[in-house]
This record gives sequence, C-alpha cells and structure tokens, in this order.
Amino acid sequence: MKEDHFDTLRQQDNALRDAIRLSEQEQPQMPADLNARLMKKLEQQKPVAKTRRLWPWVAAACVAGVMMIFLTPPKDGSEGIVAQQKVATNVESQQKELNPGDCPHDTSEAMNQRDCPRDSQPRQIAAQHKKLQHKTVLAEQQKIEKAAIAEAVAAEVHKPADNQPLTASRQPETLTDSDIPITRPENYKYTPEEIALMKRQANEAYLKWVELELEIAKYNQEQTAQK
Amino acid sequence: MTETSLIEGLRRQSPKAQQAMLDRYGRDVFAQVVRLVSQTENAEEVYQDVFVKVFSHIGQYDANRSSLRTWIMRIAYNEAVSFLRRKSAPTVYFDDYDRGVETLTDAEVDETLGHASEDTIQLLRAALQHLPPEERALVTMFYYEDMSLKEIAYVTESIPTTVASRLSRTRKKLCRIIKMLQS
Repeated sequence: MKEDHFDTLRQQDNALRDAIRLSEQEQPQMPADLNARLMKKLEQQKPVAKTRRLWPWVAAACVAGVMMIFLTPPKDGSEGIVAQQKVATNVESQQKELNPGDCPHDTSEAMNQRDCPRDSQPRQIAAQHKKLQHKTVLAEQQKIEKAAIAEAVAAEVHKPADNQPLTASRQPETLTDSDIPITRPENYKYTPEEIALMKRQANEAYLKWVELELEIAKYNQEQTAQK
Repeated sequence: MTETSLIEGLRRQSPKAQQAMLDRYGRDVFAQVVRLVSQTENAEEVYQDVFVKVFSHIGQYDANRSSLRTWIMRIAYNEAVSFLRRKSAPTVYFDDYDRGVETLTDAEVDETLGHASEDTIQLLRAALQHLPPEERALVTMFYYEDMSLKEIAYVTESIPTTVASRLSRTRKKLCRIIKMLQS
C-alpha cells in the first residue's frame, strides 16, 4: 500500500525529479584514469597474498627437517664412545701389567699399610738414593741411545752393498757426524722395546722416590715424638 | 560476462573480473559517493576504498538478499557516510523543527513538487543544496535511481517504513525551503 503510494508520488513529483536530474548532471564526472589507478593499487597489494601462500610450504619444510634430525640414527657418536672406552681399558691393563706388585700410593693410610722396607734412614740417605736412581735412569737411556746409534751406523754402512754391486774401483768413504742419521734430531726415534723399558724404569724410579718420601716422613714423625 | 560469472571471477581475485566490475558499476558508485562527499579528491579516495572492500568481501555477498548493484551501493553509501563523520567538519543545515513544516498540507506539497515550471525546478535545485547529504542521497535514490523503498532500506541499513517516513519528511522540508526562498 505504502509502496504504491510512493510510486504514485514518484510519478507526480515531476518538478522534483527534473531538479534532481539536473543536479545530478552537474555533479563532477568520474576521472577517466580512476579505475586504472585503482587496478594499479590492487596490483601493488597482491605480493602480500603471495607470501601468505608460501608459509605452509616453509612450515612443512621445517617439520621435515626436524623429523630428519630426530629420526636419523646416530652414526659416529656411540662408536667413538666405545673406542674411547676400549682405549681406556687397554691403558689401565697396561699400567697394571707394568706395576703388578705396586703398593697403593694415593693416600697416606695406604702408604702406611703396604709392605715397604721400614729402614729408618735419614734424609741424606734418601737424597742419595734419589740421585742414584736418576743416574741409573740416565745410564740406561745413554746405553739405549748408543745401541741405536751403532745400529744406524751399521745399517748405513751396509746399505750400498744391498742396493748396488760392489765394484773394484769404488773406494770406502769416511763418514762424518752429519752422515750418521741418529745425530739428526728428526731421526732420533726409540723402538717400542726401548720405550717400554724407559717407562718401566721411570715407574720404578717414581715408586722408589715415593718410598723414600715415606721414610723421610716417618723419620720426621719419630724425631718429633722423641722431642 | 553474466553477474554469476562476474561474482565467481571476483571470488578468484581475477583481475579481468575486477576490471569488468569497475566498468559496469564504477560510474554508479562514483555518483553515489560524490552525492555525499562533495569534493572530488575525497570522492576518489572513498571510491577506491569502496572497491577494495568490495573485492575483499565479495565472499560475504548473498544473492538472495539483494542484487550485486544494490550490495555495492550499500557499501558505497556506508563508506561515504563514515568518511563524512570522520573527516568533514560539522555543518548546519536547514532546520525542519519549525512549526511551518507542520502547517503544510499534503496537497500543498504535492502541488509544489509536481508543478514542473522552470522557476520551481530552479528553486528545488537550490533547496536540494540545503538538505543534509543523507537526505539528498535518499531522494536521489528514490527519484533518480528509481530504487524501491526496500532497496533504499537495504542500502541505508534501515527498514522500508523508516525510509517512507523520511521521504515524506524530506518532501515537506523541500517545500518549506522553497517557501523560505520565495519569501
């Protein structure tokens, strides 16, 4: 009813309709490039949408990377630990072999309990003994060095005979110090037997030094008790 | 391009569909905007905002509630009114709370607005300038765009009864302004 009434009014109000039509014609027209500017603006806003589409792929790649890290079995870690344990065991067994009847020397109680010689010697005796030990070690080392030098010289002398046939015209040469390989520091190497011997001697010397230190301590205690 | 394919293209953010939309409804939207926002620079700004909103909210369009054109005109109207409230300085328009409005009879109003003489048309054009932008848009949508009360109600987010009463009041106000200008 109301709609019909207003439709009638729309038809009757000619003056108002004409006035509105004229006013609309005088309104500013739409600029021709407005749509082009709008499309350009929309084009500039598009990269945001592209980045939005990228994020699921980035997230999937991150998840795959994390899964790879956690699911891949370890390659070197356990083997390395096992190898280290083996080396440690070997070293311990070697040390035990080298010091089969050694007395414990970590604590003073253990030192007191062990079966060590209980001679009550003064500090001078202990010092002499220490020097003697050092001398014996040095003498042993010198012996080893001399033996190594002799072997090297012999090897050097006999070497040409192995490689080249001996001719009558060839004269024997005099060797100098520089020709002897053992005199050069880079050629000065110990054999495993020599190293083992030196280690054994060093251990014995250390044990004897500890014993002497113990004796000195006991001597001092006795002196203090007597006073 | 049919309206259905146009809407489908807009939902895919197709530049071709967007261009077709601008070509088809651009002038109507600009006219609606410039009716409310008088300055061209401001109208251009609102126009761009309208279509950015249309392209981004095309998924919310319901063909059962309105035509695509009416939906776009609703967005344009709301954007322009929001712009006016946000940017423009408060303006004083012709006050219709005068007793003179009540004294006008319907017959007088019908005669004044129906008499299509040159003087009356010029007076009415001057009177239209004294109306607030929302009322000017209302009578323009009704008399120039030939929109129904229901469509105008959808555009202005109102109900047809309210639109009808506002139309009646505006007609009487125009007569009052004419009488004031004549005197």
